[in-house]
Amino acid sequence: MEVRTLFDTPNVIPLGKEIATYFYLTGISAGSFVISVIAVVGGKVEYKPLGKIGAVMAPVALVIAPIFLVIDLEQPTRFWYLFIYLQMTSPITYGTFLLTSYPLNAVIYAWALFTGNQKAAKTLGIIGIPLAVCVHGYTGFILALGKGRPLWSTALMPTLFLVSAMVSGFALMVIASSIYNKVTARKRPPQEIAIEKGLILNLVKFLGATIVVDLFLISNDILVLLTSKAEEYYVVDLLLKGQFKLLFVGIEIVLGSVIPLFLIFMRPFKGSLAAANVASAFVLVGIYAMRLTVVYAGQSIPLH
Amino acid sequence: MATGEGTFVPERGSAGHEAPQKKRYAMVIDLRRCIGCQSCTVACKEENNVPPGVYRTWVKVVEKGKYPHVSRSFVPILCNNCVKPICLLNCPVQATYQREDGIVMIDQHRCIGCKYCIASCPYGVRYVNPLKKYVQKCTFCHHRVDNGLVPACVETCIGRARIFGDMNDPSSEVSQILATEPVSVLKPEMGTEPRVFYVGLDLDAADALKTWQRAQEA
Repeated sequence: MEVRTLFDTPNVIPLGKEIATYFYLTGISAGSFVISVIAVVGGKVEYKPLGKIGAVMAPVALVIAPIFLVIDLEQPTRFWYLFIYLQMTSPITYGTFLLTSYPLNAVIYAWALFTGNQKAAKTLGIIGIPLAVCVHGYTGFILALGKGRPLWSTALMPTLFLVSAMVSGFALMVIASSIYNKVTARKRPPQEIAIEKGLILNLVKFLGATIVVDLFLISNDILVLLTSKAEEYYVVDLLLKGQFKLLFVGIEIVLGSVIPLFLIFMRPFKGSLAAANVASAFVLVGIYAMRLTVVYAGQSIPLH
Repeated sequence: MATGEGTFVPERGSAGHEAPQKKRYAMVIDLRRCIGCQSCTVACKEENNVPPGVYRTWVKVVEKGKYPHVSRSFVPILCNNCVKPICLLNCPVQATYQREDGIVMIDQHRCIGCKYCIASCPYGVRYVNPLKKYVQKCTFCHHRVDNGLVPACVETCIGRARIFGDMNDPSSEVSQILATEPVSVLKPEMGTEPRVFYVGLDLDAADALKTWQRAQEA
């Protein structure tokens, strides 16, 4: 049956790149914070430099992130309404308090770490881990509770967001600590530099492992979408064959996950710091593509 | 006080007490009477000062079949003023609220314009007012309803396709149609319990994706 629409209002995409960038930055922040705490609480003495790098990156990313949220508001001057009028069923209300308490905790944690107060740093770090998990998990809930959007409304979304947060956090940690290692190479004893290189390569293995988990979750999501319901068929078509083919398959999967996996685990790249950095850069690009894909493709299916 | 299992406890204000029942406004659109003239679209714009480019209601026009066996279907679309609105649950500042009579409202002084409601509404009936910069939508012309009038689109509908009233009142026209005609709603699977009902809704015309996929392929 031939069906044509003669008149309808256009499909509007209310949430755009500001929101995608916000998701990206909270992801990086949560990821690097968790890595920093793991290094400080669980690690040996030689892991400590990694802990400090993560402790700096986490609050910096999370101070910038909410700026994008406020810019995106139609009424930016009313942003403080979020603190006085609460809707306990809305994930954004939870986010208001998470986005306030998490960076505060992260700043105090970093301060404790740099002043050498290990005990305070450990306590704040352990408090901060659930906060970091929530601060990024809730962004997944924001999308998951958008029930009109077939790509978003899956219980997998918060987990997917958390895992991709870890991926981007690891990737940025690899790059940041490699730069730190290179810059401070002259000032520090060579064996310390060598140990740190070993640590970075260890970090790269973790990066590879989280990429595998991420790919597993994405493939679960796609497989279920492929055998789900009418709207889901359309959105998965959009991702695999349509408008978002390049962004999703090309950049997110191939450039952002598959190529980095090769660079991390295959000879002759395995064990090379340069290859690890290239892989991490690709991962960072890929995760940004993931945020854009989720936000835009989710809203590209018309509602009427 | 504990009540025994199986005891029927009447709800407060229900039968037996002569308490006035709560109103629940609803709209029925009899598509067999709709001619797709878009008078409702215009009347709504006029009544509610809706800026160019955005709509609180409009009539989607769908054409199907091959000549000589062709037909046009019309689907007037507006806010469903759902019983369980997801926009209300997701609004972080309680700018969206529901009146006693079921009309879903937006407090224009409260809305921060985060657009989360627009993103989560399954019906795509909310918009950002491009001049005033906050979210608006159909409110069944609550200002008219409160003064004993019907919404502007209902008043203007030349075929009397749009019928508005209290569905808790068994004598209202809306209740009678709901009781006697085969009615349907858009996207019942969303569980939002829309309160805009359609009589004679065409499957293809109601489908948001059927024509869209064709446009994508072209």
